[in-house]
Amino acid sequence: MNIAEERIDRLHALAREAASDRDHERAREYVRLARRVAERNRCGLPKAFRRFTCDDCDAYLLPGVNARVRTRAGGHVVVRCDCGATKRYPY
Amino acid sequence: MPLTPETLTRHELNGLHVEVVDAANPDLVGIAGRTVVETMHTLMVDDGSRVRQVPKRGATFEFEIPRTDEAAGAAKASGTASKLRSDTTGGFDASQSDRLADSSSAASRSGNCEGVAYVTVDGAQLLSRPALRTETTGDSKWR
Repeated sequence: MNIAEERIDRLHALAREAASDRDHERAREYVRLARRVAERNRCGLPKAFRRFTCDDCDAYLLPGVNARVRTRAGGHVVVRCDCGATKRYPY
Repeated sequence: MPLTPETLTRHELNGLHVEVVDAANPDLVGIAGRTVVETMHTLMVDDGSRVRQVPKRGATFEFEIPRTDEAAGAAKASGTASKLRSDTTGGFDASQSDRLADSSSAASRSGNCEGVAYVTVDGAQLLSRPALRTETTGDSKWR
């Protein structure tokens, strides 16, 4: 694991911690920084990070706090951020 | 690569405990707390009551790194010299120096029984956009 990947891991943990303290603006800073590090080093982001961050507003999503999760017939989950953006994931 | 004294300047600083040991502005000396935001020219340190913004240029920071087994092994392999704090505060040069806390002071300062390493870094070494710091020494695919 190189430095970039480990930085992303740390930023993921920091973003989750900030979001659980309801400090969503700071969580956004960490999410944006992690995305930038991944972009510069071409290493991608972990699946848990991609699923629980909002593509539109960069918020770190905590279901029940700033995100709603609904299962749908037809085999997918809808994750909706409080900003209104939705994302569907198959299962 | 784990967070070691050697990789600190290229690693994530957010979330680490930091103390300003020397600064061009004497009012900034002694600020200690958790790094919460990093910008190109400043670090924001949450000292418990408020968030202080410290310019990197002209300041010397002492970061506290929790010593994991992996990091300790890497430090041993690379021959990291351990010095006392009084030795490192004497003359600051561009190179980093770290000291290993003995077990009693580590326990009192961090509240666990694992050791803590203190790394002194000249703020000028950290002058970079936060995301670009990781790649400046050359193992990026693009440089």
